Amino acid sequence: MVKGGLAVPWAIAMSLLVYAGSAQLAALPLIVAGAPLWVIVATGLITNLRFVIYSAALRPHFADRPAAVRAALGFFMTDFTFTRFMRSVQEGSLPEQRDAWFAGVCANNWIIWQVSAMTGIIGASYVPIEWGLEFTGTLALVALVGPSLNARPAVVGAVVAAIVALLAFSLPFKLGLFCGAIAGITAATLADHWQQPPPPAKPEGA
Amino acid sequence: MTDPVSGIALGVVIVGLALSTIITRTSFLLAGAKLRLGHRVEVALRYAPVCTLAAIIVPDILLHPPGTTLDLSVFNPRLIGALAAGLWLCWSRNIVGCLGFGMAAYTLARLYL
Repeated sequence: MVKGGLAVPWAIAMSLLVYAGSAQLAALPLIVAGAPLWVIVATGLITNLRFVIYSAALRPHFADRPAAVRAALGFFMTDFTFTRFMRSVQEGSLPEQRDAWFAGVCANNWIIWQVSAMTGIIGASYVPIEWGLEFTGTLALVALVGPSLNARPAVVGAVVAAIVALLAFSLPFKLGLFCGAIAGITAATLADHWQQPPPPAKPEGA
Repeated sequence: MTDPVSGIALGVVIVGLALSTIITRTSFLLAGAKLRLGHRVEVALRYAPVCTLAAIIVPDILLHPPGTTLDLSVFNPRLIGALAAGLWLCWSRNIVGCLGFGMAAYTLARLYL
């Protein structure tokens, strides 16, 4: 983060307030390149869109809890804690106090994440710039994308997104990124549709 | 490298990104029970992150020097580093190893190719 070009206090504030690794990594090169505010925020928003699905999946389990509890659990949810929670749901091993249980998992995850982030932010100032450490940001995204390429529609979407983003790279305001993302999402959705028809319980247009 | 980015504009960006996290993560947890995700929408949302990230990293890796022309040769150190990281991922899901191996390949390619 710091090697990407953020001053230390701002990098710390970002880690604490945004608390979304992939969105931060995606936004970082745009911030450094001086992209417009809306482009940066929109990019963060698209990378965060998967959480809309997660929160929809969590809702039935917390519907009887107060809104403040639901909001707090939502903010501190991550890919890992969501996956962990759903596994316990499947195993049927969830205790009655599932909000406290989930809060514990999330708190644990939050502490480890933030301690690692702070170590990195402060440690990075001691690493010489010539090491090209900013490339680790790109590699971290490679590591995030890799495991998601486990289904054919995802591969189709990623390839289309990459090609369109390359072709449209010279567009101003990093618009090539959006063209690529939208083309990729469209391609992946179509590929998913052709691969398997939608479940009969939810007919077309539902 | 230029001076580190800071200042009010960056503060606004951070608040905007924080809002994107809060809105997406709390959306359906706070919404009424009547609101439901359609199947098509759910499919599109599922693939949104992988497509966006691909659109970010592929130009970052393949355009060399950064942001200029397509370079698919071995003289593009980012391509070497990304391929090495990808190979490591196929072999093991360990992210730290993937970063270390990728950075090592990138550094060697940058210095010696």
